[in-house]
Amino acid sequence: MLKVANSLGVVFFPAFDWAISPTHPERQERLLYTMDQLQEEGVFDIPGIAEYKPDIASLEDVERVHFAFPRTEDVLTDSHLISAGGAIRAGQMVLDKERDKSFALVRPPGHHAMKSVHGGRGFCNVNMEAIMIERLRRQYGVNRVAVVDTDCHHGDGTQDIYWHDPETLFISLHQDGRTIFPGSGFPGEIGGPKAAGRNLNVPLPPGTSDAGFLLLMDELVLPVLRDFQPELIVHSAGQDNHFSDPITSMNLSAQGYARLSQKLQADIAVLEGGYAIEGALPYVNTGIILSMAGLDFSHVREPALRPESVAQDAKITEYLKQLAPAVRDLYFHPPEKLIDREKEGDFFVRDKEIFYDTDGLMEQQREFVLDCPHCPGLYKVQTSSTKTPFCLGIELGRQCCDSCARRAEEEFARAQKSLRYAVIQYIDRIQDFSQRVVGDAMDKEM
Amino acid sequence: MLLGIDVGGTHTDVVVIAPSGVVGAAKVNTDPENLLASVRQALEEVRSVLGGQVPTRFALSTTLCTNALVQGTTEAVGMVLFGGPGIDPSLHAPTPHCTVVPGVVDHRGSVLEEFEAESLEQVVEQFAAQGLSAFACVGKFSPRNPEFEQQAAHHLASLGGWVTQGHHLSGELNFPRRINTAYFNSAVWTTFNGFADAVAAILDEYGFNCPVNLLKADAGTLPLQQARRVPVETIFSGPAASVMGISALCQVQDEAVLLDIGGTTTDVALFAGGVPVIERHGISLEGRPTLVKGLKTRSVGIGGDSAIEVHNGSITVGPQRFGPCLAQGGTRATLVDALNVTGRIAYGDTAASFRGLETVAYHLDCSPARAAESVVEAACAGIRDAVQDLLAEVNQRPVYTVHEVLWGKGLHPQHLLLMGGPAAALAPCLEKALDMQASVPEHAAVANAIGAALARPTVCIELFADTQQRVMRIPALGVERSIGAGYDLEAAKQDALAALQETLEDSTLESGAAEILESSSMNMVRGMSMVGRDIRVRCQVRPGIASGYETTVRSVC
Repeated sequence: MLKVANSLGVVFFPAFDWAISPTHPERQERLLYTMDQLQEEGVFDIPGIAEYKPDIASLEDVERVHFAFPRTEDVLTDSHLISAGGAIRAGQMVLDKERDKSFALVRPPGHHAMKSVHGGRGFCNVNMEAIMIERLRRQYGVNRVAVVDTDCHHGDGTQDIYWHDPETLFISLHQDGRTIFPGSGFPGEIGGPKAAGRNLNVPLPPGTSDAGFLLLMDELVLPVLRDFQPELIVHSAGQDNHFSDPITSMNLSAQGYARLSQKLQADIAVLEGGYAIEGALPYVNTGIILSMAGLDFSHVREPALRPESVAQDAKITEYLKQLAPAVRDLYFHPPEKLIDREKEGDFFVRDKEIFYDTDGLMEQQREFVLDCPHCPGLYKVQTSSTKTPFCLGIELGRQCCDSCARRAEEEFARAQKSLRYAVIQYIDRIQDFSQRVVGDAMDKEM
Repeated sequence: MLLGIDVGGTHTDVVVIAPSGVVGAAKVNTDPENLLASVRQALEEVRSVLGGQVPTRFALSTTLCTNALVQGTTEAVGMVLFGGPGIDPSLHAPTPHCTVVPGVVDHRGSVLEEFEAESLEQVVEQFAAQGLSAFACVGKFSPRNPEFEQQAAHHLASLGGWVTQGHHLSGELNFPRRINTAYFNSAVWTTFNGFADAVAAILDEYGFNCPVNLLKADAGTLPLQQARRVPVETIFSGPAASVMGISALCQVQDEAVLLDIGGTTTDVALFAGGVPVIERHGISLEGRPTLVKGLKTRSVGIGGDSAIEVHNGSITVGPQRFGPCLAQGGTRATLVDALNVTGRIAYGDTAASFRGLETVAYHLDCSPARAAESVVEAACAGIRDAVQDLLAEVNQRPVYTVHEVLWGKGLHPQHLLLMGGPAAALAPCLEKALDMQASVPEHAAVANAIGAALARPTVCIELFADTQQRVMRIPALGVERSIGAGYDLEAAKQDALAALQETLEDSTLESGAAEILESSSMNMVRGMSMVGRDIRVRCQVRPGIASGYETTVRSVC
């Protein structure tokens, strides 16, 4: 008989009636064969593993994290709220101690969704992990959280959301941005001036396989996690680094994925990408589930697996052996030269141009973080896109001081008077509300 | 006239139902050592009512296979499993005589690795040497391609015994459940078929050349000829018989909760849309999940004879039972004694009940009358929790589409149906605890035999079509057909319903309409183009009361 070491809850939501477009990788069929495999394996009958229904996240849950323009409901669908609700449910069952671990096997994904949202990019509209984490912080008072993102694409959305948050460690292992979307995720991106070293990126050469990922777990991820001591480890479990994935060039296998997951010992895993829907996902997901539950996964193997599928060039191994300690050092000793301290008045500023490939939009933004001596500082973002005129987001973060709170109110009042903005969204994480003011011009359009 | 017999653990009940109503009913003791004798005795009881007429149908519900499992008198089964990537199949083995033969079929039914014919031959030799005569073969993803099972069955058949093939049991994907179901089916096969032969002989003797149906755990029936191949379906048909009996007596139309309050336990069952709620995947036998469709039930250890305990001022009723109530000469105060003291019933030696409740009252520091009320309330609260648990579980059923998440309304019954000894006495308190309207139907005593007599046939099948591979299969019916690239969901639905109708044509009792439970057609896209459709249809004939008899046995509910 099968006996689990960790009780595991799986929120399985394949959204069989939702697609970005009929032939898009993010289509109805994506988790069909995964469902077949999980059902045929009888995983939900294993004592200690249970299937859960997702909740529906509220717009408040989304607005705790995102500035969304013009309105939150304009940038997402019901399916996004259910996927986020699935992640929240997964988080709650762990913090309620109902389950030792959980896996939100949900779609659509979210890790390319940034702090400010105008539409869909990289198949993502809102960030499932961030919506979950901020809900858990609000509901359970969780503070230190680590997110380890093993999707093949750089988790630029999660990086952007937590760029200035010293209490959230974000580590992304992904195919080198010079060879794939979204083109970011280099070691030099280490976090904002108040959170330097809390953001780690490991660009992997195409062809990196099981050996490379496991090496990085041992030499980089685990040592950093041991030092950071998170209360919660969240795994952004994208599966497009599989050797058979149609849109990437990596060599990870289901065995490699299960072993990675075994080493990581995440509390909560959330599905991200992964588009080899027949050859990889059924086996990788079975592997993750067995591994998280502490069950034997040695028989999980893709039918198409050949030794050459997971072969790794000696040069890659050599490169990763050097890269791992170098990135590790960025956490322990973030070098001053990588910290961007450009200022406008008493705010640190950062200019960004963001391309929304899914919706074909361009966003221009300038981000402001108050250089406050007492707290991580009040956050502002001025943004406009090809679809939406100039908007403003102001966030009073959950760890902001009283003086930042007063400043936030002043900024909000001044912005309204200025009549410069089509929409102003104000997020107050201390009192946990979000407020939106719509300018006259925008009001008529909406 | 319909003849129904329910062979229960204690009693064997028989009814004869004419279009005008119940014309004969009797109860005899069940002889667990000789169930056939009980059947014969029950038939004798109603012989005069029948007056030489041959019933139009004879339906039987029996604990035979259940008893065989409980008493461990099942047969040893030689099993062949075909695994494939995933969980180690040997971990699922329900018996030591179980061998895994290498070979791989995937979720699309493609053979990725041929099975090792040599290994299979070795297994067959080994089973022969072990003198086994019941077999089962089960392959991973066999509903998508039963080829390996068919080949194995062919080899095993040379040994002369019965062979259960996994895909014949259900088209649903669940390898471990399919293994367990196939195992139990073969394990009770000889027992059941021996009984079936004997029943047929008795009926011959009586000159009853009518169709014979067996009740299943899902509250439907199945012709004896079919039951001979899937005896596992007849396990746990007892509760189904009572539920269908109540369904007939009360003409349940919509949602309802049924509570069968016995001596030791209260059994909870649910109705949705007028039919009993069935376990989504199947019931468990000896702690092993199966694909046998059965009622979704919950049992709570609170019944008339449940002992009353007081601990730190709080009362619990059950799950302990130390014998009958004080009113019936027992040694411990029970729920029935409390009901006696509240004046809701006057059962047996009421003075003994009062004496017992005085002790309870002493521990609670209140009057015996107050104590008795508290006991009844505690019992109702315990039953309420079980009902709410079961409803929560049903309403938490995972759904896989945005539409279902947004529009799934769930089950919210307002009507409570009560049966069993203390039912009437507990009705007001349960009404209050559950905020539902309660009814206590009359004639509930032989509800099980009525249920057996009136239950319609049920069937549930899955169709799977892959237009890229040009194949359509209905595993449970052994249907496999090639299809054109243009085959679509509409065609699949029609094929599934037609196949269902065809299987029902054999059965003599007019059945209910076939309905589609789930259906989906998903475009399979490879690269940027559509290469075919993955079409799935699940349809069923749900449980119900034989047509023409819907209002025959109406009771006051």
